[in-house]
Amino acid sequence: MCFHRCETFNNAGLQQVGTEGVVLLEDYITKVVFRYVLLFILLYAFYVILHGHLSPGGGFAGGIVLGMGILLYFLLFGFEWKAKLRRLPMDVAIVFIGLGGMLEAIKFLLPYEKGPVGMPGTLFSVGIITVVNVGIGLLVASTILSIFYLLVEEE
Amino acid sequence: MQYLEMLPFLLILLPLCICFVMPMFARWKSEVCPYLALGATVLALIMSVMLTVQVAGGELLSYAAGGWLPPWGIEIFIDELAAMMLLLLCGTCLFVLLFSYRSLPKEIPPPAAGWYYTLFVLTLAAMMGMTVTNDLFNLYVMVEIVAIGSCGLVVAKGERLSTEASLRYLMLSTLGSGFLLFAIAFLYQVTGNLNYPYVATELLRVGEDYPFLMWATMSFFTVGLGVKAALFPMHIWLPDAHSSAPSPSSAVLSGLVVKVYIVAQLRIYFEVFGFDVFHETYMRYLILFLAALAMLGGSLFAFVQLDLKRRLAYSTVAQIGYIFLGFGLGTVWGIKIALLHIIIHAFMKICLFLSAGAVYYQTGRKKVTHFSGLGYQMPVTMAAFTIASLSMVGIPLFGGFITKYGLALGSLEADNPYFVVLIVLSGLLNAAYYFPIIWQAYFTSGAEMKFFMDKVPVTMLIPIAIMALGVIYMGIFPGSILEFLERYVLRYLL
Amino acid sequence: MELSRLLVNYPYFISMILFCLGCLAILTQHNLIKKVIGINIMETGIFLFFIAVGNIQGGVAPIYDPALPEGVLYINPLPSVLVLTGIVVSFSVTAFALAIIVKLYYFYGTIYAPEIIRLR
Repeated sequence: MCFHRCETFNNAGLQQVGTEGVVLLEDYITKVVFRYVLLFILLYAFYVILHGHLSPGGGFAGGIVLGMGILLYFLLFGFEWKAKLRRLPMDVAIVFIGLGGMLEAIKFLLPYEKGPVGMPGTLFSVGIITVVNVGIGLLVASTILSIFYLLVEEE
Repeated sequence: MQYLEMLPFLLILLPLCICFVMPMFARWKSEVCPYLALGATVLALIMSVMLTVQVAGGELLSYAAGGWLPPWGIEIFIDELAAMMLLLLCGTCLFVLLFSYRSLPKEIPPPAAGWYYTLFVLTLAAMMGMTVTNDLFNLYVMVEIVAIGSCGLVVAKGERLSTEASLRYLMLSTLGSGFLLFAIAFLYQVTGNLNYPYVATELLRVGEDYPFLMWATMSFFTVGLGVKAALFPMHIWLPDAHSSAPSPSSAVLSGLVVKVYIVAQLRIYFEVFGFDVFHETYMRYLILFLAALAMLGGSLFAFVQLDLKRRLAYSTVAQIGYIFLGFGLGTVWGIKIALLHIIIHAFMKICLFLSAGAVYYQTGRKKVTHFSGLGYQMPVTMAAFTIASLSMVGIPLFGGFITKYGLALGSLEADNPYFVVLIVLSGLLNAAYYFPIIWQAYFTSGAEMKFFMDKVPVTMLIPIAIMALGVIYMGIFPGSILEFLERYVLRYLL
Repeated sequence: MELSRLLVNYPYFISMILFCLGCLAILTQHNLIKKVIGINIMETGIFLFFIAVGNIQGGVAPIYDPALPEGVLYINPLPSVLVLTGIVVSFSVTAFALAIIVKLYYFYGTIYAPEIIRLR
């Protein structure tokens, strides 16, 4: 058992180039730990996004956590970028930029008295703000993924 | 009627919304993008004409975004200067877009065209935001958007030189916006406000307690916005970026983007700090000194360039010097003339860059030594080029003469007669590097002396012709614009 | 000026030092990636300054919480919001700069600035 562990330690830090040019991290500990932590990262991301109107955080911070989680997964396990899927993050980002921009514009145009007034401490009480936050979160996550993808893929 | 009150805000928001939607079209339906961009610009032009009519009636418009009133919220404030700049930005951008509709396919790779128009509208909207905003932090955000957008306009060509120039531009302008943000932080620390009038009243009360901080803030603003406005020693990014960009974007960068930073600087100097602080911190003398250096240095550097667009870019550096000279004089007349020069130089430089683009479109020539006989092959383009360069030199009847004469008068009025010598010298240098091009184009022996019509699409000729007509109009009837601007200047200097 | 006042206001000095370091890195480093890191250091210095301006000693985060006692001191939330916006802006600048550097690497095969100027 001990011998086995030592061997993996020796291999730790070895880099391997994936099929799409993505550099994979070949680290045993990271892989094993990350397998259990991934769910919690995603859960935390959605927690931050949904509690955007109650606590620090919101769409941007949660979106970055979400994007980083997915990114780390890709880095570790070498997600096979399928021909259709590889353009997906960018498409999502583009669509959400359009929709999110419109929503933000409406938010600026309406006077703040007409906005929803939530109950302090209650999760689902502010109507559209939660929806906007989720949209921003997905937008930021997909933007991070598409930036990473563009930087990696670059002809 | 409620929507009419929102007009100052809609003016920025609608183009921004259109450019948020445009990526979708750029990705899946690229051929719609030029029309969308044209639509956004026409919309903005209509709205800014309506606003200008209201402002000309003697009414200053302000709008609090989202209903948050000024000390807390973002305030949009439109006075005479902002209205003038809005008209200038939308009007000239409309013609540049018209020009780029046919010239772009020759200059940038086709898949990038949709993204190019997106960046164009984004830059336009952010420039309009910079001129109308009344909030320091909003100014910073708009400055960053303009910086990223204009870097995108440079890099769109996708060549080695433009990529490298764009990186240098991005680095230096980020450095500049760092200084700008630090200056804003200083002001916020001292006054606790971000709105121009509130900061100004607070500074009057507490400013004298913090002499060093005022000095630091003033110099940070000068460096931060000066890097972006290409004030002389900080101009090193400009020639590369402006000469390697596609010609519509170099027209916009040289004619408009640099100017909105100057307008922001003017607002901060005179609306936030007031003329007294500007004078007492010796910033005025620094500006005068740098402007004098720019007028001479820019012209001298331009003189040795052989690439036409590089020569035009260095000429921009010199003309920026004229504008700052007007500010540094600090008299009502000087600032008025400087503001007029912003408008006239925009027309001249856009005309020159667009004609350079048209020459490249038809003949593929870039060097100033290859212009022989062009006056007969492309009469309309070269006529416009001649008008704009005569105006640059300062021949009467053209716009440039008014500002040169006005600046000379202003410097005599302000007891600085040395600047008259500088202005004459710079004008002579301008003549020395513009006249050979015109001489070559019309009077080279051996060229075929027969007029042909330009083989350039009409949509490219119309913008060039209109810009040239604008230069002539400014040269003959500058009175109404000067009166309009005088109302703005008098409010802050007296 | 007394030394104690300098010591109390130490975040300002640290932010100034960070700012100067960042400027130095942007202007003098030859490696383009290091220049981008310099941008980030510079902006971090500015953000630290903003946060220090908004902070009140003994204040709590400006989040409404019914559990807190009456009359509790909140710190100034506005600088935090400005910093949030600033972070987003600097993130986008960094992403854009990195994209351009990747493109430059594709053209020249190096990210060492003098080498790029030599190859031009």
